[in-house]
Order: sequence, then structure tokens, then C-alpha cells
Amino acid sequence: MTNSIREIRDTDCILVIGSNTGEAHPVISYEVVRATRRGATLIVIDPRKISLTRHAALHLRPAPGTDHALYLGMLNAIVTRGWLDREFVGGRTEGFEALAAHLEAWAPEVAAAACGVPAEQIVEAARLYALGLRRTAAEGGESAPPRGASTILYGMGITERSNGTELVKTLANLAMVTGQIGRPSTGVNPLRGQVNVQGGCDMGCLPNVYPGYQQVADPAVRAKFARAWAQRQSQAGRELTMPEAPGLTFIEMIRAAADGRIRAMYIMGQNLMMTNPDATLMERAMRSLEFLVVQEIFLTETAQLAHVVLPAASFAEKSGTFTNTERRMQLIRPFARPPGEARPDWAILCEVGRRLGRRLRRPLRWAYGSAAEVMREVAALCSIFGGITHERLETVGLQWPCPSPEHPGTLFLHAEQFSRGRGRFHATSPAPPFEPTDDAYPLVLSTGRILYHYNGGPMTRRAAPLDWREPRAYAEIHPDDAARAGVRDGQACLVSSRRGSIRVQARVGGVVPPGMIYVPFHFREAAANLLTHADGLDAGAKTPEFKFAAVRLERLRAERSGAAGGSHPPPE
Amino acid sequence: MVALTIDGRKVEAGAGSTVLDAALAAGIEIPRLCHHPELTAWGGCRLCLVEVEGQQAPVPSCGLAAAAGMVVITHSEQLEAHRREVLDLLLSDHPLNCVICEKAGACDLQRYAYEFGLSESSHEKEIARKLYQDENAFLVRDHQYCILCTRCVRVCEEIVGASAIEVAQRGFEAFVATPFDAPLVETPCTFCGNCVQVCPTAALVPVDRIGKGREWDLTRTRTVCPYCGTGCGIEVATRGGEIVSVSGYGAPANGEFLCTKGRFGLGFVGHPDRLRRPLIRRDLAYSLGLIDTPPPAALGRSPLGRSPAAGETHVEVDWEIALDLVADRLAAVVKESGPDAFAGIGSALCTNEDNYIFQKLVRGVIGTNNVDLCARV
Ligand code: SF4
Ligand code: SF4
Ligand code: SF4
Ligand code: FES
Repeated sequence: MTNSIREIRDTDCILVIGSNTGEAHPVISYEVVRATRRGATLIVIDPRKISLTRHAALHLRPAPGTDHALYLGMLNAIVTRGWLDREFVGGRTEGFEALAAHLEAWAPEVAAAACGVPAEQIVEAARLYALGLRRTAAEGGESAPPRGASTILYGMGITERSNGTELVKTLANLAMVTGQIGRPSTGVNPLRGQVNVQGGCDMGCLPNVYPGYQQVADPAVRAKFARAWAQRQSQAGRELTMPEAPGLTFIEMIRAAADGRIRAMYIMGQNLMMTNPDATLMERAMRSLEFLVVQEIFLTETAQLAHVVLPAASFAEKSGTFTNTERRMQLIRPFARPPGEARPDWAILCEVGRRLGRRLRRPLRWAYGSAAEVMREVAALCSIFGGITHERLETVGLQWPCPSPEHPGTLFLHAEQFSRGRGRFHATSPAPPFEPTDDAYPLVLSTGRILYHYNGGPMTRRAAPLDWREPRAYAEIHPDDAARAGVRDGQACLVSSRRGSIRVQARVGGVVPPGMIYVPFHFREAAANLLTHADGLDAGAKTPEFKFAAVRLERLRAERSGAAGGSHPPPE
Repeated sequence: MVALTIDGRKVEAGAGSTVLDAALAAGIEIPRLCHHPELTAWGGCRLCLVEVEGQQAPVPSCGLAAAAGMVVITHSEQLEAHRREVLDLLLSDHPLNCVICEKAGACDLQRYAYEFGLSESSHEKEIARKLYQDENAFLVRDHQYCILCTRCVRVCEEIVGASAIEVAQRGFEAFVATPFDAPLVETPCTFCGNCVQVCPTAALVPVDRIGKGREWDLTRTRTVCPYCGTGCGIEVATRGGEIVSVSGYGAPANGEFLCTKGRFGLGFVGHPDRLRRPLIRRDLAYSLGLIDTPPPAALGRSPLGRSPAAGETHVEVDWEIALDLVADRLAAVVKESGPDAFAGIGSALCTNEDNYIFQKLVRGVIGTNNVDLCARV
């Protein structure tokens, strides 16, 4: 996030886009509720009627996959009706003329035709957001109050799309053209899904950057890490060299594994069989590997395929840090003993590193006495974490950048300038989803989380109250589509895509619009990711399109209904 | 800032603060039951009454805006007598089961009764509310302990935004209820348990903590929720290493509020399915001569169907065997096909330290940049 969670309550206008905040980030939704109770205007842009719409002044429901046009329509309205922040655009950005010219083609009426949201609603959302109008001000008509603070909160509904990077740039355009960034309670704020996805990226588990976003391509960076990591006595004669070529991204790895170019894999704490698109492809890739190591706390669906499974301590049994979606690094502390012989992940990796280093003649330093010591090494090598130590995190944590021991951390980014100097506008255009619907597969499948479960379910489905509340897989279906397929509320039904099919319970109601089915991906026995596809990756971030696959809905013959389940070859 | 006088002391209060806020900030305690710093003032319990110069009757300090020049008295004989009477009346309608009560040691009513030296009520004892609702797996609503402070109702409406509960009926008959008294599961309740968190008594208690120990039996550890990217601070209460309950404690991201996963979702920690020793897949173990039973057909079945029985797919081995095997096999692949024949996937569920060491292993030892997180978002 560019800004902090606690700033949300003081916002004047909140735009929630592609995020079912109430279910995926419930405590952040509390901030939104608090803001609305203090008079903020809430605008929800989502095809689904998510729980926050109850508090919204406006709920725009673009047809699935067409929302890009809506944002362009909003931008057009902002520019043509003079709601832009000229000072900000002139002083802090570049490329505005090109954007303005590009937007001429996107009058609200044009956008409306493309996304199905009435033009007046697009214009109204643009006005409320651009000017940061509270509910009272919004009704106050023409008299112009000073520009309020607006914030954008967005989720996987934006990023898990074949053009996710372009969509994020479009949202950044909205914030920059209106000057709604770089101040308290503004910004473009991604809500990151998993507890430490931010930290995993920060720590360099990415194919192109070292920890602290230092480029692999930079020889000085490689040399710095080589020097720091090499074991002293071994350096005589042989310098440790670091690989130069950027690595494969996740889906590229999977494809490479499936066709034999990747022969061995090491997976730490990720149940990719459940959480990634096209589970059939995932299984083929895993089974093609000559050697698969999985480090886990349970024998997950992925671990079941591993040659070796190493038992890890969970968050409850180790020390270390997590970094949340607002860039806040916080300490975790053990409150239980690891079961049996399970060990902290980092400690296992050090053991592997020692042994493998000997065999490959790349001996590194692995002698860490504690997780705190690991963090000292991180701080020494990364300027943005330079001032962070476990001792400093004892009380409230620190938001990076935090370059020095005295630095208080950074509440919100881009206060004075953007990381690259001037903020650049990008003229973006909508792209169709990779797999459009057709006669055989006429419905749009969207997958995601629900309140009571998490990822592939190994943790939440073993938490008794959560599993009591939501014990089985289901699909949200619009009454029209249900009627057409002869499916009734509460009964089992069959959802199929070109890749597979699953049996789930039908929940018929108005949450989804006609033409859309929503299936949570937490249930092993009816894995939603048997239906999704791993094609059409977003060109920038290489994120798969979890939010759009073509499917069809069928009722089940009596003898097959009842249990939920899944199967690989699609029934023809 | 406004300047006022409380108990003869000059006190500064921030804009928008109440007299209660100002007093607390200055270290002056005022007894209170319905007040909660994150919720709007309700003013119903009348324990926080203070005398204000120029006003006839005492006023609740929790809803009284601090104003410049105000002169306030928080403790006087008359106020103490009044507070004693408020508590006396509450006790007349309260079970006083402290010897077996889950909340003993953490209950506000018990605390004030102790402070005022009240062991029983001077009024006729009659418990107004007798409902015991345990129709869900998260929280028990034991109405006899309810003092109708409405903190739960306010947190549900003002913070959670669910408005699942309200005060039904009036006077002696009043109780906290769902619309039409439906089970919570049929209301917009999200089972966040924030009502449990703010309840001053034992009227709302997590199902899982009942009978597991009381305040003084518990060890409390502050850590971070292992689920979503909000990174809520949680305080885990354990007894003998077993989780008893989870609560919020005033952390930077979430204050004291949590969602249902953070509060009720840690049952996986001590689950019997947890992995305890390294495992080797049965076909590999067999080919290495570690076991003499040939691999079962189950190894070929998709894990997305039925889950395997314990020991069906893998056998347990010592750490030494497992670690050497991992090093041998990975080294062989790298030597034969080069480092880029290897790929590593870090974890959005593991710590920064874990992920740092992971990419160090991949880049530094194996010598490839084939490292990524499983989900790119
Ligand atoms: S658990 Fe949460 S949603 Fe349910 S009644 Fe309590 S506060 Fe409201
Ligand atoms: S249930 Fe608890 S929080 Fe709710 S009114 Fe009763 S005592 Fe207060
Ligand atoms: S308590 Fe809920 S909102 Fe907070 S981090 Fe955990 S899962 Fe996320
Ligand atoms: S705390 Fe002020 S009236 Fe209850």
C-alpha cells in the first residue's frame, strides 16, 4: 500500500475495486465502515454484491472483465469536466497530454456501452472520487468545497487478470490526475492477500531482484551479495559468482517442469496444487519432476506428490517477522512447541545449504544463531531495511523504507515525489479476457476467497469453528442461470470448463450478476482451480487470470448429487 | 486543545475529547462500564457520572465534551454513593458465580464490586435474563451475565458493520438479541467475535475457552495473525502450550479488533495431522531399500480426490537421511543439467527470515535466479 490502514477511517471518499474486503481483508473493511459512519462516501466497483455494498453510496456493477472501460470513462469525465488537479498534474507528473488525447475516445457514454454501467453513474463516481466529496458535500450541489482525500483500495479482482498491470496503471492515472496520492488518507492501495506476500517479495523471492528490490541485472548488486554470502576461508582462489540471467516466473517454472526443462524443485510452504490455476497442469508438472522437495506443516495436496517432505514449525512455534500490506514489519513470537521434530523453515534451509554447498563447492555462511541474526544480515545488505532490527520491532513494528536506526519508518509513500521522479501517465486500453465465453461455455467463472477459509484450506479446515460454518464447496449462481440449467438452491450441481469439472453445492441468489459464477478455491474435494486456466498471463506481472474462465453449469442426475467432488478430464 | 480543571488539576484535552478522555489522559480513573474508547458514547450505565460546576445534577463524563474552563469533580461522597447504588442494582440481577465464572479476573463488574467492597446486593435478587444460546461453534451467549452495556451492539454496528444484534424489548425484559431471535448463523453475523472482545462480563465467551482455565492460569503472547495481509496483532492465551483463546490487544494495524479467522482459526496449530518427522515417498523409499513393501497404487491417484490415510504415501525417516538425500539429489541435477534445471518457490506464509534464507540458498548455492513466490499478488 502507498498509505496506511489506519488512514482509511479519515478518508472522504473511498473507491473499493475488485476487492471483497469484508471477506478477504475483514479488518480493513472495518476501517471502511468507520469512514462511512464518519460521513465518507463509499463507491464499490464490483460485479458481485459484496458485503461492503451495504454501506456504499454507489455500487457500479460492470459486466465481468469490462471494468477497464469504466475507469477510462471516469478519467474522461474528470479531464473534460475540469475535476482534475492541475497543480499536481503540472508539478509532479509527465505524459498528461498524451493521456488526455487518448481519453478523448472514452466519453462516459462510450464507456457505459462497453461495461454496462450507466453513464451518469460513471460520471458521478468520477466526481465524488476526484473531488473527495463526503456524503454531505456530495448532496451540496455546485458550491465547491476544498478537495477532500480519496483513496483507492483494490484487490485481486484487478491483479489476477490477463491485463492486470495495465489496470493498475489506469488506477494510478486516476489518482495522479486528481492529486489523490502522496497525502494522508489517499493513494492507490493494493490489499495483499496472504500474510507475508509483501515480505516474500521484499526478501527477494522474485526472479529478477535480490532482497530490497536490488536488481539481479546490476553487477554491483551481484558482487555485493557474493561477497557477503561467501564463506571467508573458501574465497582463496575462487570467487563466488552469482547468476546473471533473470529466472523464470512461477507459471513459467510450472510449464518448464511439465516439459522436462526443470528437473528438480524445492517448494517451501505453498500448496500450489490448490492455489494455482489449472490444477491438472500443476499435477502434471509436479509428477514430471525427477525430484521434488516440499517443506510444510501438513501433508498438503502438493506435499503428497513430493519425494521428500520436510516438517516445518508453524508461525506459532518460531520467531521472525511478517510484513503486512501497509509495509509494516512486525515481530512474531512463539507460543507453542513444534510438533515432533519439526524445525523453523530458515533453520532447515541452512542445513540444506550447508550440505548442498559442500557438494556443489559453493560454501556459504549459514551460521545464524537466531532469526534476529538473519534480519541483521538483511538490514546490512538492503538500504530500505537498513534501520530494522528485531529489537526495534518489539513494540509496534516499522513501515519500510526505514534506512537507518533513527528513521521512524514511512507512513505513506510518494509524499514529495514518486520513486522515479515524476509520475508517468500511461495511456492504457482495454483488452478482452483470454478465454471469452461461447455457446459451449457460456458463463464467466470467477474464483476467490471467502471469509471463513484461506488458500487451499489446510489451516482453516482444521480450525473447528471455521469448518463448522463453511464445511463444503459451493458456487454462487444467479437465479436466471440456475433456472436455465434447472439447478436449485442448495442442491449439488456440476460446473465445467475446458480443463475439468467439479461438483459443488449451488447457492442461488443475487450476489453474482447474470452470466457469472463465483467459486471459492479452498475445497480440495471440489478444487476450483481444476477449472481455471494458466494461459494468458498478464504481460507485466505474469499473474494468471483467476478471475475469468469460461464455464458451463449443469444439474446433476439424482444419483450423483449429494457429495461435492472434482474430476480431471472434462465430461463430454 | 482546551484547558479545564479536573479534581483541582489543570488538564489539557485534545479537540473533540470528552471529559472522560481528558481525565484518563491525565491519569485520573473514573469507573465506567458501557464506555469503550473505540465506540460512540452511549451513557447508559451511569457509573462515570461527574459533577460539573454550574450544573445541578451529575452528568456522564463519557459523553460530555470537554470545554474550556470547565471545572469537574470526579470523586465525591455523593458520587461514590451513586456509583455504589449503580453497582448494587447491577449485582441484584447478576449471578455472582465468580468462583466458577470464565471471566473471573478479567471482568469489569467483578473489579468494581471488589473496589467498592460489594459482596452481594442489598436489593432483592432476581435474574432478569436466563437465555443460554450456544447454537454456534464460535461463541456462547449466556444472558444471565449480561449487564446491558450495549458495547457488543455498538461494535457490531459501528466497527464491523454487520448490525447482527440489537437490544430487544424494554426495561427489565430487555436483552441483546438478533432480529426475530434467529440463530446468529442466519443473521449477517460474521463471527468476528469483536462483541466477545468488548463484553465486560461473561455474557459472551468463545466456545473453545470454556473450562480451559481462567485469567491467572493463562500465558499471553503477542504475535501476528497468520492469515491475510492485514497483519493484525493478536494476543494468544495458552495454558500448558495449548491455545485457550485469541484476542486483539491494540496493535497498529487493527487496534483490538479481529476477524473470525484470526480469532477462531488457530485450531490447526496443535492439530494431530501436523507433520512431526521428515517423510520420503514410498516408491523412493522402496527403491532406496529403506522399506520392503512395494509402493501402493494410491501414489498414482490425484491428491485432489480422497485424502490419503496416515503413512499411505510416505514413510517417516530421520532428519539426517532426509537432508542428505535432498542434497544428493539436488546436487546431481545441478551437476548434470546446470543450475537452471532447478526452481525454488518461496512462501507468502513464511517469515521474512525464512524467505531471505530461501533465496540465498537458490541464488548462492544452486546458482540460479529461478526463485519466485507461488502467488504473484
Ligand atoms: S461476532 Fe461479530 S458480527 Fe457477530 S454479533 Fe458479534 S460483533 Fe457482530
Ligand atoms: S452481552 Fe456483554 S457487551 Fe453485550 S450488552 Fe451484555 S454485557 Fe454488554
Ligand atoms: S484477523 Fe482477519 S483481517 Fe486480521 S490478519 Fe487475520 S485474517 Fe486478516
Ligand atoms: S461509562 Fe459513561 S455512562 Fe457508562
